[in-house]
Amino acid sequence: MKWLKIILFLLPLLLAFSDLEAQQRFPKPEFHTKYTQPTPTTPEPRGVGMEFVDVLVLLVVLSLTSWFAIKKRSRNGILLLTVFSAIYFGFYRNGCICSVGSVQNVALAFADPKYVISLYALLFFLLPLIFSLFFGRVFCGAACPLGAIQDLLIYKPITIPAWLRKTLGFIPYLYLGLAVLYAATGTEFIICRYDPFIGIYRMNGPHLMIYLGIAFLLMGLFIARPYCRFFCPFGAILNVFSRFSRRHLSVFPTKCIQCKLCTTACPFEAIDFPDEEKTKPDTKSNTRRFILYMALIPVLMLAGSWIGSKSHVFLSKAHPDVYLAELLISHPELKTDSKNIDIQTFLASGKSLETLVAEAQVIRDKFYTGSWILGAFLGLVIGLMAMNQIIFRRREDYQANKGNCYSCGRCLDYCPVE
Amino acid sequence: MQDTQDNIKLFGNLITVSGIFCLAVALLLLINYWHIRQTKPLETEALKSLVQQFQADPESEALKKDIRSLDLLARKAFFTSQWQIKAGALLLLFGAIAFATCLRIYHTMKARILEPLIDGVDSKVTRMLSQRWILITGGLLLGSALVVSFLTTDYLKIYEETGTVVQAPAEPAVKVAVVDKDEKTGRQKTEDGGQEDGKTVVGDAGALVIPAKAGTSPLSSAGVLVTPAKAGAPSLNTDFRNNHPSFRGPWGQGISYHTGIPVDWDGPTEKNIKWKVALTKKGNNSPVIWSDKLFIAGADNESEVVYCFNRLDGKLLWEQDAKDIPGSPAVPPKVTADTGLSAPSVTTDGQQVYAIFATGDILALDMEGKRIWAKSLGVPDNHYGHSSSLICWKDKVIIQFDTNKGGRLLALNSLTGEISWDTPRKAKISWSSPIMAEIDGKLQIITTSSPTVAGYDFDSGAQLWAIDCLSGEVGPSAAFADGLVYAANEYARLAAIKPGPTPVIVWESDEYLPEAASLAVSNGLLFIATSYGMFACYDSKTGKKQWEKEYGQGFYGSPMIAEGKVYVMDRSGAMHIFKVDRTLTSLGDPILGEKSVVTPAFADGAIYLKGEKSLFGIETIRQQKK
Amino acid sequence: MNRKTFINNSGRLILLGGLVYLTGSIIFKRKVSASGKYVWQIDPFKCMQCGRCSTQCVREISAVKCVHAYQLCGYCDLCGGYFKPNTHKLNTGAESQLCPTGALKRKYVEEPFFEYKIDEKLCNACGKCVKGCGSFGNGSLQLQIRHDLCQNCNECSIARMCPTNAISRVPIEAAYQIKGDFKNPALTNPK
Repeated sequence: MKWLKIILFLLPLLLAFSDLEAQQRFPKPEFHTKYTQPTPTTPEPRGVGMEFVDVLVLLVVLSLTSWFAIKKRSRNGILLLTVFSAIYFGFYRNGCICSVGSVQNVALAFADPKYVISLYALLFFLLPLIFSLFFGRVFCGAACPLGAIQDLLIYKPITIPAWLRKTLGFIPYLYLGLAVLYAATGTEFIICRYDPFIGIYRMNGPHLMIYLGIAFLLMGLFIARPYCRFFCPFGAILNVFSRFSRRHLSVFPTKCIQCKLCTTACPFEAIDFPDEEKTKPDTKSNTRRFILYMALIPVLMLAGSWIGSKSHVFLSKAHPDVYLAELLISHPELKTDSKNIDIQTFLASGKSLETLVAEAQVIRDKFYTGSWILGAFLGLVIGLMAMNQIIFRRREDYQANKGNCYSCGRCLDYCPVE
Repeated sequence: MQDTQDNIKLFGNLITVSGIFCLAVALLLLINYWHIRQTKPLETEALKSLVQQFQADPESEALKKDIRSLDLLARKAFFTSQWQIKAGALLLLFGAIAFATCLRIYHTMKARILEPLIDGVDSKVTRMLSQRWILITGGLLLGSALVVSFLTTDYLKIYEETGTVVQAPAEPAVKVAVVDKDEKTGRQKTEDGGQEDGKTVVGDAGALVIPAKAGTSPLSSAGVLVTPAKAGAPSLNTDFRNNHPSFRGPWGQGISYHTGIPVDWDGPTEKNIKWKVALTKKGNNSPVIWSDKLFIAGADNESEVVYCFNRLDGKLLWEQDAKDIPGSPAVPPKVTADTGLSAPSVTTDGQQVYAIFATGDILALDMEGKRIWAKSLGVPDNHYGHSSSLICWKDKVIIQFDTNKGGRLLALNSLTGEISWDTPRKAKISWSSPIMAEIDGKLQIITTSSPTVAGYDFDSGAQLWAIDCLSGEVGPSAAFADGLVYAANEYARLAAIKPGPTPVIVWESDEYLPEAASLAVSNGLLFIATSYGMFACYDSKTGKKQWEKEYGQGFYGSPMIAEGKVYVMDRSGAMHIFKVDRTLTSLGDPILGEKSVVTPAFADGAIYLKGEKSLFGIETIRQQKK
Repeated sequence: MNRKTFINNSGRLILLGGLVYLTGSIIFKRKVSASGKYVWQIDPFKCMQCGRCSTQCVREISAVKCVHAYQLCGYCDLCGGYFKPNTHKLNTGAESQLCPTGALKRKYVEEPFFEYKIDEKLCNACGKCVKGCGSFGNGSLQLQIRHDLCQNCNECSIARMCPTNAISRVPIEAAYQIKGDFKNPALTNPK
């Protein structure tokens, strides 16, 4: 309290001040020269109105893409929109908030009563899904900035064996499940954290993020849209939604003439070929298999939920509070480590370890619920994906697969039918 | 056709060139980044060591020059690399755009129709293969999750099952020890024949402590506190009245119930000084007394110590370090010299003594100095140093823990150190100490802070009332008398508050305001001691000033009331004694001969003072004979 | 064909119903802010200047900058935010400056007062000056997220790592929290 001596000395001066100002350790001087005090700079953030412009742009892009894909049948139109999205949502808006990440905001808003989701984030989540229910994955086709940058940099796509494609197609569901689990428990937004392309759009970012982006783009030269096909969690939802779309891009305008010209058109191998007579399954054994799967799926879900509930302990270690609590319990000697900022801050906060453990336990309990649901979901996905392989739908034409087609319109130019 | 072929070739080459260009730029960026990460130009060891050398030799011009040029170099390296990254990113972007454009044109121009895939894949085989792989992958994933889940350790569960690391095993032993202690001290006191001291039936710790000598101890009406739950209105019991168990006496109210207090002594000539002990460690805390034992604390950068003296002869009975406390910082926090590391006074309930230090370490010792429990509350974020004293009652130790991170009021279980309740408060950092008072039949803890003066329920910690009337850095503690709570702080105001669901300020004043010294009220009179040497007396009901007296030295120690007299010591160590009266009647100004900032402690016929260097036991001859 | 259409339609209806349920439950049971936008903000009362703002931001040079609340500044000659501890002479030479990039500028006003100004282009949010000012002075230097630079990421990567949880999502109207305006009680009282 040494400075108080100074204050006592300056007491008459100080008394002139309001009592609130007396809280400063060193009072603001009264200047005798002409000195104007600058004000701290506080540049305003981008206004709310602009966010709704983004929603409007998204709506327009989605509508135009639907029109180009279904009515106009114009690949060039879609290509232009793709470039526009890459520029607007990517380079101009720097990729935040995007529909892919909005999944997490919705999950957190659904699970956490305290989290307030802004309307435009909700709209960014809803619009692509609603469009996919009516017109297929038009969002992937041209509106998604992550898809756009990959779509523009396809060089020589190679064919990936169907079994590998389908197996890798499981990853998006796993990613989606984990992203929702971690978002809903308030742990972190993994989709955003491991988004490979934001760093490139911003031309600024943690270097690992940019390396990841470059790696994906390099891979994308030969494996068309690798992130979209084998990682994108929002794509997993869109895939399901699009299967039930009311209208969808069609390879041929009126009738397929079986010319097979479109077979090499799709770099994503999303065109289904007609069934050949010899691949027709034996109906009897197939029915038996189907019944087997109907029984297997609940078993898989049960097993999944059991394993999920077992896994909640290690899954929850990603949460910073749980991590800190466990670290303090397992390594009490770290308390003396003055370099460990987290532990030192915790110790200085005066919070007891009991409180921290209790809080961590609450989070872990949330993880328990979330993990068994995740496990059951993954069991269901595995079961359905496997069962899908024996369900036989009759096809006579070369047609886009509604689940996997991005409505990019490449095939449209290949079809000779007018 | 030839043109188209040429163009296709051209764009094919352009693709290759732009692709190689992009790759090269990306590679350069990578190398640049790796380089910055490795060298960290802004944090070079060379610069740091140069600065250190310079601090040792501040006149060296050569060193100064070296530092400046190295610093310039470092900044240049940093900003150049930033510029390189920016430029590289732009180059990369343009390269990528060129690449993508060429790619588009190339694809558009190239003969579109490739050879169609004539033979479809045998989809039956593919389907079976896909089905198998999906199941295998799914199974592997679930299986590995299961394996990992069995390999992970649930530390939280371990923690919850084994309980708290430090306290759990000690707990049963503590209970036994406490009961033993109770018997022992009780017996000791009866043997001493010390007046009413025989009834050591302390009502605290509820059912845990069985009064050993209940039969032989005649309880005064105030002492009937053995069943606090049923007793309804709590009140200060005789045990606490007959001692000086915390800062500013029983319940911290600034009133002592002792008699025969000396009014005349002289430090330099040792008149009436019965004993004097040199202090080994600094501590601006005030002495606390239970029976024959006097407690103080002291701390420096090496250790934090609690001392116990025999108050009759000044002999050091024991001292105990606060060491090996988990969570305690390796280096004590920075505090100002006039606050120190041991500003909070200790407190005792006659069975244990509790001490807190600026490090946030709190410990409980039994009356023989054996540690019962200790814990760290975390280093209080306090730019002067934590200085709020402890107070204890029944089974709780109360800590006012207002730091720069916000205000808290905590109660720890006195037997185990576990948190009984922890109430966050709307308060900024403060240096005042909690007091206790019985208001409307409820035992309350009253705290002052900026901006809130508030009352809390002793049992639950719930805030019962609060009023915002202070500001600044609050040091003075509150006082309570006749239904009114008094609070004050320098540059803020002095307020008499009628507590209740909606507290009312009955009167206020801003003429004389204390900075560190707390308020004292007795017999309808309120006493204020300011840090610039003004001592004033007000009518506690109306706020009308009765008298004032100015001294050359300021007051940091708080006024204490005993036997109808008010004792207040200025910073030079001169005690000023007045009659508690509406007119100024000075009863003496004995001096200690040492600077002092603490508040005196009393016992029958004795006063105990702590100076900068020594601890004094003062008794008049009459009392010594007895 | 009929069967296929039926499955398609009912599937769509179910998914649409799911979406409506999800949105409805968020809108009606929880909170959706229709006109609100949220931005990230550092609470200077919680900030402990660990230095992570300069390393954890997704931007190469952090969007966090030191902001000077002049209202709170004491214009001291010996500024704990400007000078290295144990500085011998109070001059602007590199040997006395605490700021590694030289972003804090010192300007003479009148005896004995100096103005301290931050060149935000140079600031890299290391927080050294903030710590220095907070421990010896009024704490007028503070770290704040600058919204012309902040990408407003869906999840702030500094907030994830902030040891004191000083970074939170706040409504856009109160984008900055700068302590120092003592006339405004909301800015003087820590939450």
